[in-house]
Amino acid sequence: MTARILPYGPRALLAEYQSIEEVMIAAARLRRIALPAVQEIVPAARTVLVMHDGSDTSALRALLSEEPPAELPTVLQFYQDHADRIDGVDEIHIPVRYDGVDLGEISEITGVSVDTVIDLHAGAVYTVAFCGFVPGFAYLVGLPRQLQVPRRSSPRERVEAGSVAIAGEWASVYPSVSPGGWRLLGHTDVAMWDDAREIPALLVPGRRVRFEPE
Amino acid sequence: MIPGGLQVVSWGVATSVRDAGRSGLAHLGVSRGGAVDVASLELGNRLVGNGASWAGFETSGGFTLRCHTPAMVAVTGSPVDVFVDGGPPVGWGAPVVLPAGALLRVARVRGGARSYVCVRGGVVSSDGEVVDLGDDPLEPAALHPVAPRPLDGAVRVWPGPRLDWFDDGAWDALLTTRWEVLAASNRVGVRLAGGPLRRERHDELPSEGLVEGAIQVPPDGQPIVMLADHPTTGGYPVIAVVDPADLWLVAQRPPGATIDFTRSR
Repeated sequence: MTARILPYGPRALLAEYQSIEEVMIAAARLRRIALPAVQEIVPAARTVLVMHDGSDTSALRALLSEEPPAELPTVLQFYQDHADRIDGVDEIHIPVRYDGVDLGEISEITGVSVDTVIDLHAGAVYTVAFCGFVPGFAYLVGLPRQLQVPRRSSPRERVEAGSVAIAGEWASVYPSVSPGGWRLLGHTDVAMWDDAREIPALLVPGRRVRFEPE
Repeated sequence: MIPGGLQVVSWGVATSVRDAGRSGLAHLGVSRGGAVDVASLELGNRLVGNGASWAGFETSGGFTLRCHTPAMVAVTGSPVDVFVDGGPPVGWGAPVVLPAGALLRVARVRGGARSYVCVRGGVVSSDGEVVDLGDDPLEPAALHPVAPRPLDGAVRVWPGPRLDWFDDGAWDALLTTRWEVLAASNRVGVRLAGGPLRRERHDELPSEGLVEGAIQVPPDGQPIVMLADHPTTGGYPVIAVVDPADLWLVAQRPPGATIDFTRSR
């Protein structure tokens, strides 16, 4: 299935795909070929946003519409194939205090106990598929299907930094205080973004992650 | 560099040091940052002979600066009341040299939301109230003052990627409603009241990339126009996109002002 290309004003296009795996393939192809007109490439859950210089977009459209390979790698395989291990670290472990205000609600929606919610979340291995929203916010795949619950219908005006959260197929940690609609499982003291580090973001695409009950 | 060339006596309302921002980091969650009304920052820089993207001050008023060295300044962006103690008067859109010891007060913005104060040499760093200026750019300053552009024009928009998530009347409602700018607006986005814009699809949109000028519509139907500090991805459908050439008009609308959108081309 090829991409659906959606209009996004005179300086951008949004290409929509069937899965995060197709998104990663398309974004990687775009980075490799590096058309001179392309200024930003923002992969997300089902889309690749491309900001360009406003010149002719036919080559860009053709590239975005290329058929994906018949056999798609998983996000984890994709990064093992395409990226070097990030600064030699295999896996990041994030200690979590599971005291989130939405634990009860998640348990109700999923029909499993709060303890099982925690076991499921802490038992999985995650991979950073892409980053976005605010500096240091990463979208992690690997959330067990049983824990996949929709976002809150109305977002909270304030979510604390370090909040460990889930929404849909994604898991993440809020790097800074911000509004947010994801469901909160607990919190961590590990800094997701630190200007003093060479790479300020802790969770960069391809990074493998585990959450550990504190 | 001229260390401590300026001193901030009062930061005032929403004042910060801003350059033109950066691109190429949206995939890491980092948006452009930079001046919200880039054209006004660039104009101010050109007036004092700086590089167009150099850092100056963005302020919504109440901003007071003392010169510890002779400094050439220019004020652009929103028209604004400017008072000088111990130096010549500073008007809008003209470079003026202030002597050491002069006090520049940027009082009330009039008509717009943000003014820019550019200083010859540019702001290279600021630590608390102490501001270091860059070396003289050795380029000539402008010989002639410029006139402010009208801030109240209609804002051109293009259809956005999720227009089909809204009901048949939503596009017309976007173009015919006189939208009011809410006080909750900031560098992240301009929040509008009016409408509301009604959605036809109520399922969840997977998070997708946002551009500056994207008009995102949360479930309450009240649109938000994304500005320089916008989140790089978001989960609410984007009904339309402001033409990049008109984005400064949105950035310059103060709370309580209105916005009319018009179809681009």
